[in-house]
Amino acid sequence: MARYVLRRLIFMIPVFLAVSSITYLIGNASGDPIVILKIGNPRVTPETLEVIRAYYDLDKPVYVRYFLWLGKFFQGDLGRSFAGGSVNEVIGAWTWTTLKLQVTAIVLSVLIGIPIGVFSARRQYSKADIGITTAAIFGVSMPTFWFGLVLIIVFSSNLQWLPSAGAKGLTYYWWGDPFLDEIAHMILPTIVLTYVSLALIVRLVRANMLEVIRQDFVLAAKASGLPDRITIYKHALKNAISPVMTYIGISFGLALGGAPLTETVFSWPGLGFKFVEAALELNLPVVQGITVIIAVMVMFANLITDLAYGVLDPRVRIE
Amino acid sequence: MSESKSTQLTVAKKRRSASQWAVALRRLRRNKAGIVGLAIVLAYLFLAMFGGVFAAYPPGSFQPLYDLENNLPPSWKHPFGTTLGGQDVFSEALHSTRNDMYVASVATGISVLIGVSVGALAGYFGKGIDAVLLGVTQIFYVFPILVLILLFSRIFVLLVVAGFGLTMIAIILGLFGWPTIAYIVRGEVLKIREMEFITASRSLGASSRRILFRHIVPNVLPPIIVISSLLIATNILLEVAVSFLGFGDPNASTWGQLLEYGRQNIPTWWVTIFSGLMVVFIVLGFNLLGDGISDALNPRLRE
Repeated sequence: MARYVLRRLIFMIPVFLAVSSITYLIGNASGDPIVILKIGNPRVTPETLEVIRAYYDLDKPVYVRYFLWLGKFFQGDLGRSFAGGSVNEVIGAWTWTTLKLQVTAIVLSVLIGIPIGVFSARRQYSKADIGITTAAIFGVSMPTFWFGLVLIIVFSSNLQWLPSAGAKGLTYYWWGDPFLDEIAHMILPTIVLTYVSLALIVRLVRANMLEVIRQDFVLAAKASGLPDRITIYKHALKNAISPVMTYIGISFGLALGGAPLTETVFSWPGLGFKFVEAALELNLPVVQGITVIIAVMVMFANLITDLAYGVLDPRVRIE
Repeated sequence: MSESKSTQLTVAKKRRSASQWAVALRRLRRNKAGIVGLAIVLAYLFLAMFGGVFAAYPPGSFQPLYDLENNLPPSWKHPFGTTLGGQDVFSEALHSTRNDMYVASVATGISVLIGVSVGALAGYFGKGIDAVLLGVTQIFYVFPILVLILLFSRIFVLLVVAGFGLTMIAIILGLFGWPTIAYIVRGEVLKIREMEFITASRSLGASSRRILFRHIVPNVLPPIIVISSLLIATNILLEVAVSFLGFGDPNASTWGQLLEYGRQNIPTWWVTIFSGLMVVFIVLGFNLLGDGISDALNPRLRE
């Protein structure tokens, strides 16, 4: 077990180096940030530009810069944002709003999705099942952000029940209280994110349950007089849950990356929104920082998921 | 005498054609959702080829603005309404069908080509290639692909301006979409490689290339077809996302561009609703078709 974890951790190093260096090179090839600064302010003197260049180490060749960045990364420093401030601060400031939304959506979709998926599989081809599968396939076929736009049109623009943008009110509080106001702002983006991953979970659970409940051991459990609830939830579900766990693991890994499109539609001040903004402004240190953090999170989430397999599914032996 | 011979022949033919594919086709035909998916996909293919004929305005036309007909809700003249900037949403959505279908199919073609080759080679030869493939898959797994696309379309901005924007986006999507396919193909090849008919043909002296492309790859086709159908759906959604964020080809009409116009002006709800529904239905079509084929090919779901 310990050896397995160690091997996996060692395997992460080349992957990490590849991801970080590829992002660095592509970012570097996508343009000279200093030139953009010059377009914004044509009166900048060449001397000032040189000073700025030196400040961000942009006067050194790209591979030297990458290793400088790498050295700082292992000291816990993600570098300096072109928009001022350190990347650590930028990311730190947006982490909470992003995680608040993501974790709520993941937890809700798991809690609702698994029972619905099981129910749907047990009554295959019933009217309820057809309704659920139809709703689920619409959920995976929609562009997430389009669903967000539709909700904004209906509930914000026309009915004016809920706010359409931001994470909290600045001067006006919805429902007359700062705390309730934050909840009001969360509702629409949470619905969008939950619906999308809910649809995926329902489809995964249903598809796997359909295969499992046809197996002999389920029949045997039923024949031995076990109540249906125990047969299904204790015996069958255990055998059908692993793809769902993979999905949940990856979702948690990606959570910090936010949902760039949904956050953009709702102007939600989270990391996903910042990520797109940084890519648009060629704010390379921020792009690099967020990419690398997501990569590391996903790798650890993968490892944890694999370890959890070993605990939950005795057929999987970790050697 | 000759008659009985011909019936014998047809019987033999029939028996031969009752292959895995014939069975799958029969089961697909009974799957209502799969047929609906197929119908939607065919309808969109028709629109992609001939949709321009039904469009009242050429791509990117602002004629309604000059006719003072911008910002209008749906009517008989403008079935999907017009944008604030003065484009006829119906015409634009039709022209977008061709562009978006083009990007998604080229991208999927590239991914399938790379994915199948890499997966088959890795599964068949194992060892070094296999290790490299696993590493590369891992890298693609942890990369936020959307951001890579955004950076890339920035690097190749000159190509976009020169009118190769759609092809460029298709190539980028294709280059990033293959690892899942490679992974699945590798798994299948690993299974088939150990089967007896492979040993048989090897003992008959067949070359590795012949075994791989004549015996193994055809047996891996079913999962490839399913995943291609689902991948086209994913690629359509990605293209829509890229052009929605403003990184697409500004010279080509796309659904994502229309959705962006809709977002900039929420009161013109018809722009958002209709162009979004165009996306929803084609993605739905490919998903239903993929599910249908997958169910038809899955022996464990046979009743």
